[in-house]
Amino acid sequence: MATKTKNTGRNNRRRSTNDDRRVLTSRTVAVVVVLLAVMGLLSARYGLGPSEESVTATDATSEGTGSAVAPPALAETPPNLGPAVELTDIDGWINADPTTTGLSSYGGQVRIVQYWTFGCFNCKNTLPHLKEIYNRYQPDGLEIIGVHAPEFDYEADPNNVSAAVVELGVNWPVALDTSKTNFRSWQGDRRFWPRTYVIDQNGDIRFDHIGEGAYDELEATVAHLLANGA
Amino acid sequence: MSTLLLLAEGFEAAQLPCTLVLLVTGIAVGMTARETAIPAMVSFSLSVLVFSWTRFSDRGAGWHTLIAAIALIAAVVILFLPPIRRLDLVAIAAGVLVGFAAAELWLPCVGEQFGRLLMQLPERGLSGVALMAIFLTGTLSPVLALAAIHHLTPDWILERVEPIWSVVGGFLLSGLAVATAVGYHETVLGWLFEWSVR
Repeated sequence: MATKTKNTGRNNRRRSTNDDRRVLTSRTVAVVVVLLAVMGLLSARYGLGPSEESVTATDATSEGTGSAVAPPALAETPPNLGPAVELTDIDGWINADPTTTGLSSYGGQVRIVQYWTFGCFNCKNTLPHLKEIYNRYQPDGLEIIGVHAPEFDYEADPNNVSAAVVELGVNWPVALDTSKTNFRSWQGDRRFWPRTYVIDQNGDIRFDHIGEGAYDELEATVAHLLANGA
Repeated sequence: MSTLLLLAEGFEAAQLPCTLVLLVTGIAVGMTARETAIPAMVSFSLSVLVFSWTRFSDRGAGWHTLIAAIALIAAVVILFLPPIRRLDLVAIAAGVLVGFAAAELWLPCVGEQFGRLLMQLPERGLSGVALMAIFLTGTLSPVLALAAIHHLTPDWILERVEPIWSVVGGFLLSGLAVATAVGYHETVLGWLFEWSVR
């Protein structure tokens, strides 16, 4: 008799818990639906919008310079975002002269500095665009410096980085920022992969972009700095 | 259109190793919370949203953000108050704390749409939170899917499975906590990633 009463009590408690859970779940669904609706309304009103229109492509054919499309041009001078911090605590360099120590080794040149890691899908997506820009502007004095800041241990092994650099066809200097000292000092609390900067001939940052994309603006900034100086 | 692309990029990001810290912690908190998995995972997701937005929009130092976060969390708790039990409150608090830690540890790999959002985030107000929420809906989809599976699973199965789940989840969470304290969380996540692709 006592066991029967105990079992009935336990069953009632479970039923009550299940009822509570059902109410809780229906409220969760209601809150999520309301949140999604608010998000939808806000993003419809204030969505990302079209890409920035600071870059315009010029059709070179109209200028009689051949069939290729000329590099994109900037609508205005790229803003000066302040001096770039020198690279420190670099564990080694790949594709670089043995005397290379940091940014100053390429002083006076226009430099693209990209923070990346070979395991990052989005970083790899930027490489074909960087290669195109490098092939086009290296003869004019552009240098790309890939700062390899690993996320996981297997990305920190220099042998794995060297193999990835060969496999991915990266032919510009790569600095090994294994301790992520520079990754932190350049990006502060807003740290991402990839992050791409353009440094002018005076060592000032003139372009800063997070993630993939903005390749036309990147190229236009490089072309502008090479043509007009800092 | 770009909003849909942002959501799609969020789903894509859910498959990338950079996002592992969010998914492992979110799933582990759900597993450990047993019958309170849903409030724990919802509060985890909201916490990731609020604290990652705070961090990525450079609003970390402002008191107004902290107040906004507390208001948001309090609103959720109030909404759930009538059927809420002490156990649920603990689960919500745990979800918020783990969400805060995950948002702090998260170093995202960024695609084109999310990159555009991150560039604009410091100048955006509430619309920035909404767009972050859209991206995170995709990114945290495995956590939300687990919550849905938990909801749809019959009670008799849950009663058998939850004790094992909670031990695995608790082990994972405490392992990550120790690894984070000694600065080895990236190593542990690296192992998990390598193991998952092997």
